[in-house]
Amino acid sequence: METLKTISGYFATIGVAFTVGFLFMGFRRILTARVQNRVGPPIYQNLLDIIKLWSKESAINHGLMQHMGPAFSITASVTTLMFIPVLRDGNWFQNFSFEGDLIFLLYIMVFGQLGMALGAGQTGNPNSAIGVSRGLSQIVGYEIPFVLALTALMVYHETTSLHEIMAAQDSIGGWNIFVNPLAFVAGIIAFLGMTHYTPFDVPFAPAELASGPPSEFGGKYLGMMMTSGSIFAFAKLTLFVNLFLGGASNLLELLVKALALYLIPVIIGIVTPRFRTEQAILFFWKWPTIIGILSILWVVWMR
Amino acid sequence: MDITGIPFFLAVSFGGAFLAYLMNFAHRFLRNAVVLLTVSASAALLFWLGDETFSMEMGGFVLTLGKTPYSLFFAGIVALLAVPTVLFSFTYMAKEERPAMYYLNLLITIAAMYGILFSLDLLSLFIFWEIMTWSSFLLTIHKGGNATKAGVKYFLYSAAGAYAILFSVVILYNMSGSLLIEDVARSFVLQNPLMQLMLAGTLLFGFSVKAGLMPMHGWAPDAYAESPAPFTALFSGALSKMGIFGMGMVLYQIFLQSPFSLPVRELLAWAGGITSALATLRAIQQTDAKRLLAYSSVAQLGYIVMGLALGTPLSMMAALFITLLHGVFKAMLFFAVGAVYFRTGLTDLNELRGLIRRMPVSFLTVLMAIISLANIPPLGGFVGKWLLYESLIQSDHYFLVIVAFFSSTASFLYVYRLIFSIFLGQEEKEFEHVKEVPFLTMQLPMLALAAVTFITGIFPGIVLAPISSALTYLGFPIQHDMWSMSMLFNEWGNRMNLLAMISVIGTVFLTGFTILYFYRMRRTRYVTTKDIHTSGEVPTENENLTYAINFYQPFERAAHPVLSKSIRAWIDWIGRSVSELGDFLRHIYTGDGQTYAWYVVLFLTFMLAAGSWIL
Repeated sequence: METLKTISGYFATIGVAFTVGFLFMGFRRILTARVQNRVGPPIYQNLLDIIKLWSKESAINHGLMQHMGPAFSITASVTTLMFIPVLRDGNWFQNFSFEGDLIFLLYIMVFGQLGMALGAGQTGNPNSAIGVSRGLSQIVGYEIPFVLALTALMVYHETTSLHEIMAAQDSIGGWNIFVNPLAFVAGIIAFLGMTHYTPFDVPFAPAELASGPPSEFGGKYLGMMMTSGSIFAFAKLTLFVNLFLGGASNLLELLVKALALYLIPVIIGIVTPRFRTEQAILFFWKWPTIIGILSILWVVWMR
Repeated sequence: MDITGIPFFLAVSFGGAFLAYLMNFAHRFLRNAVVLLTVSASAALLFWLGDETFSMEMGGFVLTLGKTPYSLFFAGIVALLAVPTVLFSFTYMAKEERPAMYYLNLLITIAAMYGILFSLDLLSLFIFWEIMTWSSFLLTIHKGGNATKAGVKYFLYSAAGAYAILFSVVILYNMSGSLLIEDVARSFVLQNPLMQLMLAGTLLFGFSVKAGLMPMHGWAPDAYAESPAPFTALFSGALSKMGIFGMGMVLYQIFLQSPFSLPVRELLAWAGGITSALATLRAIQQTDAKRLLAYSSVAQLGYIVMGLALGTPLSMMAALFITLLHGVFKAMLFFAVGAVYFRTGLTDLNELRGLIRRMPVSFLTVLMAIISLANIPPLGGFVGKWLLYESLIQSDHYFLVIVAFFSSTASFLYVYRLIFSIFLGQEEKEFEHVKEVPFLTMQLPMLALAAVTFITGIFPGIVLAPISSALTYLGFPIQHDMWSMSMLFNEWGNRMNLLAMISVIGTVFLTGFTILYFYRMRRTRYVTTKDIHTSGEVPTENENLTYAINFYQPFERAAHPVLSKSIRAWIDWIGRSVSELGDFLRHIYTGDGQTYAWYVVLFLTFMLAAGSWIL
């Protein structure tokens, strides 16, 4: 009975993550449309897209690695989700979050992109290769401020466990966004890079690269990648809520906090043009890195 | 002779080398049998090695051999890589010239490494060190041509390191009257601190040359690129780790009590960090697979030095764990690149492409190795880096974390380029007839090592057990709550459960893969890489759709301020200047008797003129 409850908990988490993920993305589409003076699709449009993609038939393939790419991608998304505590306390939605720590999350989060890159590589499409080259370069850019922000938090709280970082932020004044605002700024700028929205969408660059790495993937492959994308978006948002906004005690609170965070890349994305790859990398290595270093110095000084 | 003694062990290792050389005149199968038997026998004998030490007097010096838990761990690495290396050599070297010489030098190198590890005094360590340098030099120049130049470079760097070591050994002997490492350590602490600093400095310099720490790394890219691939695996995987072994010994057996110990270690840690970052950036620029791996080796050795120099129990565990893992995955990569070279004759990343369907096992090997190299869970590389980052953060080296993490993330770039250029991308007609390498001698070593990366990723306890005893020997307090079979702990009490990790990753991956493979791929038909989305245009047969040259141009543009400078160029400039000076001197010392006779006449005339003027 206990096992059944645990296993259904896993599926519930994945279900919640998927639903919230596609709703948020639908919300972004509506918001973008309104800014561009369009009506936009309904909020559940992404779900319709995913259902449509899953029901399509593919006729061709380019080999085994192409099949493994989307599988790697969903592996990374679901594993990331499973090792992040969705709620502060209670038995639900904890999954495997006691079994791993932040260093593990750092690495498992890039696993999907590397796997996707391998899958895209086998298709032989030059657009995919160009996209991968840009995407991997951009990772080296935004991971630096991200790690700086995480290090600042880990050192301040003297733990690498998400649970303990959450537990330490027991009141609003104790939230890391207020305790160490510099780390939050560095982290959120890195988060802009992670979402791959403008100004950092050069790896996928619609209209230039024919959507880059996924250009040879259609039907169920694309469906699986979109599913994975929705889950991953939720996982990343939850991670940032846990790190900076003190986590959430119930799903509603989580939704509000996650939406607030999600609006930052969305709103910035709507109004900015695209960075070139080297501009993006240099941007990440400049201001967010300086802010990140200051945040660590701040923590060292506070201790 | 006692078969559990170290003399017998070394006799087997060295004797096998010469026996194999002789057997070459009988038949090559006989030779191969002897070679394989020698390395597997010495690997097996490691398990039964007795505890007693063995002394021998030679020219007034006492040479002492014995095993320690620390040396046994490194010997394990040598044995683990030696067997696949000779197995891989059998087919690979069949095409090359002078195989007898190759096997002789290879086995001597392996035996000399065991000799270094089992030396309890500095003189025998130095003797074996020189044997290793000589035999590995001969292996490096095996191909001739460019290899000779690379070999000479390697030898010059090694000679500089060796003289530095010899210099310290002589002074240490004078100070303590004994060559035994424990005696030396005991009298070392009585010296004045500046003397201690100088002696340790020269010793560390000598050992770090072999480890390829920047700026002493200049030999590594050339030597790794030019030596025969199976040997390169051993070269980068095991031989360069002898430098790490020596540095660990100096830092924690001799130098630890000195007041300069901490600053020197701090400096070394930063040297390691900077080495790993700069070498990673260089690796991204390379277009030759072996040079790329060479720079990657330099970078990985940088991590090991970092962990070694920090000197917390956790960081030492990390350093030794990466030492083993780097040996394993770098051997896999050199083997796979060697396999590609064996079939295509190419290592140039701009020319190779699309071999995945021709050489699937080599592809799988490279895939496993790069996942391990990029520290991505669930393979062994992740465990090493997890330990390293935890120890860096907990010993308050926050900025070193960033440097280490930067090079770790940037390593995704070069590993992807390696696997993409060789195996993925457009498939070309040119490589249509390429076949996978033979199973027993080439695939098996690669797959066996791939299995090691997988097992160590889930059950690192197998490796952490010998590491703990090695560290206990070096004087580190390793408690039992610091690790278990598949669980890692840091000093703050956080944990990483690797079994939970593999169950989640395994379940999701298998589910996802099964859906896509059995449900989809069975019903689809394979099309070539020409049959792709090209916005409506149909590419012709000979149209080039490859994006492989200048693969990371945007990144190189961003990193240009760093990449445009080079330490090696400076050292090469010094080399060139010396050689130009030599050329100039050749105009004077022409080697012609007539000219010298003229010099004598000129000199006498000058003397006469000068003399008459003065007088």
